[in-house]
Amino acid sequence: MTAATPLAPSIPGSEEPPERATGLFHPRARALVVRDLINRSRRRLEDLPDDRLEAHLEDALWNERNRMRRSRDEDEAREQLDLLATALVQGSRSDRIEAGLRLVSSWADEIHGRFSPRVYRMATRALPRMLSALLSQRPDRLSDWDLSPTARLQVRGDLDTLRILAREATLILCPTHVSNLDSPLIGLALYLAGLPPFIYGAGLNLFDNPVVGWWMHRLGAYTVDRTKKAQLYKDVLKDYSIRALTTRHHSLFFPGGTRCRSGELETHLKKGLLGTGIVAWQEMLTAGRPDAEVYVVPLTLSFTLTLEANTLIEDHLAEAGKQRYIITDDEFAQPRRLASFARRVLDLDSSVIAHFGAPLDVLGRPVSPDVGERRAEALERRRYVCDRDGEVQWDEQRDRVYTDRLGEALVDAFPRYAAVLSTHATAYAAWSCLADNVGSSDPFRLVRVPTGRRRLRREQLLQRLASTLERVHDGVRRGRWGEALPKDAGRTLQTALDHFERYHRSRVLARRGSDLVIEDPRLCLYYRNRLTFLDRPERSQPLGGAS
Amino acid sequence: MKVGILGGGRWGQALARLAMAAGNEPFIAYRGTPRPPHLLRSTDHPPDVAAECELLLVATSAEQVRNAIQLTRPGAQHRVVVAGRGLEPATSHWLTNVVLEESEALRVGALAGPAPVEEILNGGLCAGVVASPFAEVRRMTTEALHSNRYRLYDSPDLVGVQLAGAMVPVLATLIGITRGLRGSGVGTHAMVLSRGLVEAGRLAQAMGADPLTFSGLAGVGDLVAAQAVPGHPNFDAGLALAGGDRRRGPAVLAQALARLAEQHGVELPLTEGLCAIYGGMEPLEAVQSLMTRPATSERG
Repeated sequence: MTAATPLAPSIPGSEEPPERATGLFHPRARALVVRDLINRSRRRLEDLPDDRLEAHLEDALWNERNRMRRSRDEDEAREQLDLLATALVQGSRSDRIEAGLRLVSSWADEIHGRFSPRVYRMATRALPRMLSALLSQRPDRLSDWDLSPTARLQVRGDLDTLRILAREATLILCPTHVSNLDSPLIGLALYLAGLPPFIYGAGLNLFDNPVVGWWMHRLGAYTVDRTKKAQLYKDVLKDYSIRALTTRHHSLFFPGGTRCRSGELETHLKKGLLGTGIVAWQEMLTAGRPDAEVYVVPLTLSFTLTLEANTLIEDHLAEAGKQRYIITDDEFAQPRRLASFARRVLDLDSSVIAHFGAPLDVLGRPVSPDVGERRAEALERRRYVCDRDGEVQWDEQRDRVYTDRLGEALVDAFPRYAAVLSTHATAYAAWSCLADNVGSSDPFRLVRVPTGRRRLRREQLLQRLASTLERVHDGVRRGRWGEALPKDAGRTLQTALDHFERYHRSRVLARRGSDLVIEDPRLCLYYRNRLTFLDRPERSQPLGGAS
Repeated sequence: MKVGILGGGRWGQALARLAMAAGNEPFIAYRGTPRPPHLLRSTDHPPDVAAECELLLVATSAEQVRNAIQLTRPGAQHRVVVAGRGLEPATSHWLTNVVLEESEALRVGALAGPAPVEEILNGGLCAGVVASPFAEVRRMTTEALHSNRYRLYDSPDLVGVQLAGAMVPVLATLIGITRGLRGSGVGTHAMVLSRGLVEAGRLAQAMGADPLTFSGLAGVGDLVAAQAVPGHPNFDAGLALAGGDRRRGPAVLAQALARLAEQHGVELPLTEGLCAIYGGMEPLEAVQSLMTRPATSERG
């Protein structure tokens, strides 16, 4: 999960339900949270047979030692690892568990933010206005600035239903991940939609900056250290998420895990944190909570242009996505580029569209907007995990299959809420023309085609663009995705050319006499990939619940 | 354990006998078939079976699965295992998807393998495979049917097992054609059988299934039974096709598989050959066109 500016957390207050008073951000909650996470880990470790306990702890030791070879000194952590190593060699079973729990304790402390109600109150008042200002037209005189909700960020979806659901249940927001700007924009979208704030995990690297780190900690963003690979750590992280959900904190997970390098809508999701929804739901059912329901809301973000497009597509093409999983030197880290993007791109009408999708339950099934039907669904849903007496039957394997279904439902949902923008459609058509002209569909070959062969006849491109728009409209008619551009290829091309000129140093597509030329085929591929969902085969339901 | 069986025909009765042999209580729902023997508890009101049994085995023909599910109305608490072959002819939907479409049940599975019904009813020994992504569905089905006369293996590969169930009738028909064509002998038979297995494995892999599933009971096991039993409907349909009679056999299934292969960018020359024969091509011409394909790697 990558994040930039934190989203504000839910805040406990006198009018909140009692369980929220014991939530994550109560001033005295820190010790409680850490203790709860230790207890959860203790139960898990105590349930393991000796050989698996040993393997589990050895995995933690090996991964942590490996990580420390690459990271700065962490004397306390090294001591803990030495203790664990000693316990594994000569300690008893309980020594091993205790040594493992020391690691858990320090991780729990690290994961939990240092929430400050004062900073939170100030931020929730100021941040939306600051972001509104960023996305507003910038007139010459400061006094003319429009700080009201803006057309630059369009928020779409059945927001009335979502507001109701946010009151009666716990929500998990699952957005597509395009840019590091996603997090602040989602925060603004939530504000504009009248939805409560969501907590979310932010990469630990973002806390390295003392100013940003201080700010984020106090806003309640919890930390996710993606360099920690040990299963023991991942389990603590999941436990934290479960605790957040069971204490009614709406949570945000980027289910793709990181910004999508290729520019496509996510098709492969990470199910770790996503799977905490079904666990939290069952914990609340077991506790007899009337507000046990957990709903998952897909959110598709569509950007006319992407701040980090160059870096992301380079990374994708270099097939270095895994090695460079955490990119720290991209455009987001360059204040000038960020300012240029804000000035030239975010100033466009509808430069960003945030479309909240129809909510799903934790099994991936749609949730009715009608309250009566929703209550009936909730009763029926319990039977998927309860026995005839209504007792929850815990079954991790079953829950993994349910989470797989949920993942597939999200992957199917993302294109439904994607806005097909002029830049995407034009790049899609231009790439298709290039592939035809070169006689290959291999992207690695096409990005290396010399400039002379990247020239496209205007008529050819307009024809291809018209057929692309027709395909989009056809999909809209059949309910496969939500919306389409007007079927005017000429206007779409014109708008796209104007937009492409605004930000990128080398343009995706530029005029060359009466023809056009793909100046930067990598960027063309990036924006074209946004519409690869047009090429996906239509499918009804996953085979037997999971494929 | 109470085991619900939807379908009171010979296959439903055979499953009921297997459930009894495993020490369980079968309860059959029948509609449109004669009432099963009194020894087997049954009802013509399918929801009664759903009310009593959490595990439901669907033992109707593929055409009748949708109707059986609509009548029985399984709910969230049910585990539904389809003991039929592959795809619904009218829609080309997987039979487990038909269950998902028509009911609230999510925990579904498929039972496959050689099913010589008369042998089972006469106490013969046999084996099958139950596939489901849900371990509890596999466990419950095994508990329901596994005994000293029926060995039930389990697999998480639902896609592979259902695909095998769909491919077997096609391959059995092709083998029937090769046996019926003048001039073709055991060499053609062996070629179609082994290349058919590769073809099925290729599609399985493209669909995210395990190609090895086809070498198990749902694939090779069922195919061997199809050739060994005299009068097997698909093998006989192949013989009839070799003689120019196109009225019988898995035409719809073959077309559905060819479409599936196209969607996944996979070549199924044998299946496409069968489609061409049903489309009017002479069987001998189809065989010749297959034989003149360019040479390729055996694992290609």
